[in-house]
Amino acid sequence: MKGRIKPVLEYSAALLVLLAAWWYVSGPMGMPAYLLPSPASVAELLWSMLMNGKLLPHLAFTMQNIVIGLVVGSVFGVLLAYAFFKTPALSDYLEGPLVVIQTAPKIALAPLIIIWFGLGLTAKIVLIFSLVFFPVFAGALAGFRSIDSRLHDLAQLMNLSRFQRFLRIDLPAALPGIFVGVKIGAIQALVGAILAEWMSGSDGLGYLMTFATATYKTPLLFGAVLLTAFLGLAMHAILNEIEARFLSWSTPNEH
Amino acid sequence: MIKIEQLSKIYGQGDDQVVALEPLDQQINAGEFVSIIGPSGCGKSTLLRLIASLEDPTSGSVTLETANLKRPVGFVFQDAVLLPWKTVAENIRFPLDTTGVSRKQANEKVAELVELVGLKGFEKSLPKQLSGGMRQRAAIARALADDPPILLMDEPFSAVDLLTRETLNDELSRIWQKTGKTILLVTHSVEEAAYLGSRVMVMSPRPGRLKATYDVDLAQPRGEQTKRDPKFLDLVSELRTLMREMTS
Repeated sequence: MKGRIKPVLEYSAALLVLLAAWWYVSGPMGMPAYLLPSPASVAELLWSMLMNGKLLPHLAFTMQNIVIGLVVGSVFGVLLAYAFFKTPALSDYLEGPLVVIQTAPKIALAPLIIIWFGLGLTAKIVLIFSLVFFPVFAGALAGFRSIDSRLHDLAQLMNLSRFQRFLRIDLPAALPGIFVGVKIGAIQALVGAILAEWMSGSDGLGYLMTFATATYKTPLLFGAVLLTAFLGLAMHAILNEIEARFLSWSTPNEH
Repeated sequence: MIKIEQLSKIYGQGDDQVVALEPLDQQINAGEFVSIIGPSGCGKSTLLRLIASLEDPTSGSVTLETANLKRPVGFVFQDAVLLPWKTVAENIRFPLDTTGVSRKQANEKVAELVELVGLKGFEKSLPKQLSGGMRQRAAIARALADDPPILLMDEPFSAVDLLTRETLNDELSRIWQKTGKTILLVTHSVEEAAYLGSRVMVMSPRPGRLKATYDVDLAQPRGEQTKRDPKFLDLVSELRTLMREMTS
């Protein structure tokens, strides 16, 4: 337990310092409120929006898109990586092109995705998917390829079916690699979700940001940015917790 | 019974060809404990992998008369090769979990095996929390879990310290007597080969082939008194001389 409390304290201390600096610049130093609203005014606004039900739908919308995009992107990333791993011919022909495509900044493709998939939910999910897919694919492929060859011997000795082999040996053995990809993918998913909301629609934290900017509601803009940052932190914490619980076997022993 | 006919293995092609095993004929009867020794590169591990169908032979065949069991052989590797994300008990239960044995039955079997290999109290440990010797015990228990009639062991004790090795040797000898399995043990140690085997196969390297076989005429059960038996000492020194000739 001791090891858990320390990072929490460190995080809190860093946040307090930031908060104090923010308070000082916006208050005693006299920065105008339209440039930098005070922490109190931002907190007040967020609270009132929470109370009148105008905040949670936006937050939920963004989170929902992230989760869908992350799950779908991860599933497809892992499955394609497994297909590549099992079919060397496939990876011989497709791995090169795939890496080349990957070097194209997908954020630049965002407008194209909107044109192809419309202004609705589909385009948002597709954009998040495209950002999540590759890191998970790359992590999973590395994970599958680094499986101890003796585990393959074991699978053969046990006469496992293809499905048993995937589920009971290959997938768990590749999980540390897959998880590296998912952690990168989660950050990308947040970026993708916000970006997609900037470009179209009238829901989500990204939409709140563009709306606040267009109408000079600086406290709202700050609120949305802060919530996005907290969302990122929360995702990070959740993924770390999952990693600590399910992947402790892959780290060297603590004692 | 294991019937080996004209079994050979060649790795690579053309000029890079390496003959790992020259054609070999051998018959191993049910319930025998065969030790296989020889210097590195004599094809002893290859022979074991061929018998386990982990490699395809270049020629010849291996016939296991085991009534078409799904898993006729249990295999113990040089390292334990446990699934690192599973506990000791889950690892031992793995062969049972993947053949649809009921959970209750499987757990009873696991408890029995844990007792047999002396891992009581470590059922819930992860492999990384165990010493090499304990991991190897868990691997032996796993190999025994679905009760295969044949047990193949590829230098199973080379990674454990001497004292543990002697203990594990005695345990293996006991398990063999108790279960009546056919066991093939590949080892570097002539003492281990003579101490455990009812027959010793000596193989020579480059190219790998069978050089000689010895029937071990020593009383069962074997123990400390075996190691002082003149017949044991004669056999060990004969094997050692043979090994030395091959490596010089």
